[in-house]
Amino acid sequence: MLAFLYFSLKRAWQGFWRNAVMSLAATATMVLMLLLLAGFWIIQTGLLAGLEFTEEKVQVVAYLQQNATEGQITALAAEIQQRPDVESVDVVTRDKALERFRESMEAQGRTDLTQQLDSNPLFASVEVKLKDPSSLKAVTEALSPTKHPIVRNVINIEDLVERLLTVTNVLRTFGTGVLVAVGLIVLFIIINAIRLAVVARGEEIEIMRLVGASDAFIRWPFVFEGAFVGFLGAVVTLAILAAAADQLNSFMVEFFRVLPLQVGSLTRDLVTLVMGAGVGLGILGSWVSVRTYLIR
Amino acid sequence: MTIAPAPSGARSLRRRILERGRDQAVPDRAVLVLHDVTKQYPNGKIALRDVDLVIPEGDFVFIVGPSGAGKSTLIKLLIRDEVASKGDVVLDGQDLARLPRRQVPRMRRKIGIIFQDFKLLPTKTVWENVAFALEVTGHPRRQIRPAVDRVLAIVGLTAQAKQVPAQLSGGEQQRTAIARALVHDPRLIIADEPTGNLDPLISWEILQLLLRINELGVTVLMATHNAEVVTALRKRVVALEEGRIIRDEVGGAYHRED
Repeated sequence: MLAFLYFSLKRAWQGFWRNAVMSLAATATMVLMLLLLAGFWIIQTGLLAGLEFTEEKVQVVAYLQQNATEGQITALAAEIQQRPDVESVDVVTRDKALERFRESMEAQGRTDLTQQLDSNPLFASVEVKLKDPSSLKAVTEALSPTKHPIVRNVINIEDLVERLLTVTNVLRTFGTGVLVAVGLIVLFIIINAIRLAVVARGEEIEIMRLVGASDAFIRWPFVFEGAFVGFLGAVVTLAILAAAADQLNSFMVEFFRVLPLQVGSLTRDLVTLVMGAGVGLGILGSWVSVRTYLIR
Repeated sequence: MTIAPAPSGARSLRRRILERGRDQAVPDRAVLVLHDVTKQYPNGKIALRDVDLVIPEGDFVFIVGPSGAGKSTLIKLLIRDEVASKGDVVLDGQDLARLPRRQVPRMRRKIGIIFQDFKLLPTKTVWENVAFALEVTGHPRRQIRPAVDRVLAIVGLTAQAKQVPAQLSGGEQQRTAIARALVHDPRLIIADEPTGNLDPLISWEILQLLLRINELGVTVLMATHNAEVVTALRKRVVALEEGRIIRDEVGGAYHRED
């Protein structure tokens, strides 16, 4: 067994370098394909993370009557807080609402006209953060003026949220579909590239068969070679991605408005994806290519 | 050399063949038995028809016949590159049609094959080319070295061991191929036109070598067009034509002598 492993690894290494041009061509193809795969994955992840971020922002805002007392407001807030689908409840008093309004005016550089008013025209409100945007409807209903007289009106953003959810779902399915499709294309191209390297050594395989080499002795050196091509391709791809990491990060921030995941977990997932795809495709490619040469 | 006990699955078949063989006064130590073998390719072409052939241990047999007579198909059946459509091909007591796919490599190690175009690896030296056959069949290093040295001595290439095929003459290349075929200690050497690419003098050299190997006890089966060699040696000659054996005589010539 150990002798077999030694033999296979040695021949895989020799095979790679003896046909260096072919092997490097296969590796280059691998790098391009992995970059393509990684690129699609980054865009998909960024997009989804951006949408998730937006989803988190979905909240139900209920404006309250001018005459609502503090006790009534606190009771309402407490009741809503108890719902299982509610993340948190914020009470915005009339003073706070005015303060916010002034701040936002100032931030936009506009003149604050509220100074001219003799009383505060704004309403107090209850802002409810949801655990899941799909429970929007239920929470909106729970806050409706018919149930709670102190509620003046609830801002209806149902349509908007539904659209957002549709987009997210479509993107999730479609994005996964595209990723799988790209993965398949990558698989075919890599199998083809490795097949060329195997075909170039057809004579050697033929001789091996004629002198009675078992399938394992024919197959495994090529499988190891394929794994090596995949590994090398993955390392080069990751090096390129690492070199471009800064630009990539700023692109993510600018394009998706957020740095969606902790950089650490993104990197880890990306390394797993590229390594796994590279080595896996390399092994699969040589396995399939060499199969046609084995005894029928 | 004695025949290895046949695996139980093939035993009854083997007994059948041996019993039949007794009637026909066939030595019971047959390396190769073809019984009623027909090979039809998927395209409908029938390459061999009802071929019966028994080759006893230690025989030296020429297979002759025009191109397309079925010589190549016969050889493909023997190394189980193809499987007979009908009939039995029994090599060393094993029915090749019933041999599981996984057992084929092991069976092939009992056969040494030599080709017209040598089939040597150009990047390996003579020594490495011969050792290759042992390496890829999982022999440990310490067994490989003495075995390769021994067969290179038999074919007389000890001095050329470190050269690559391009540095060798045609005859030396074929001798390398013969050494590689011998290194597994085969029971049967199959030579497919081994002198086809060589000039007459070198052809005789190769023949001498094959005869010597035959004297060491290895059965030799040689397909050839070389009439001069066949006629001069007066060995057993099996003539094929259109897939049938039309002549099988001991001490025969290349052409029919009436």
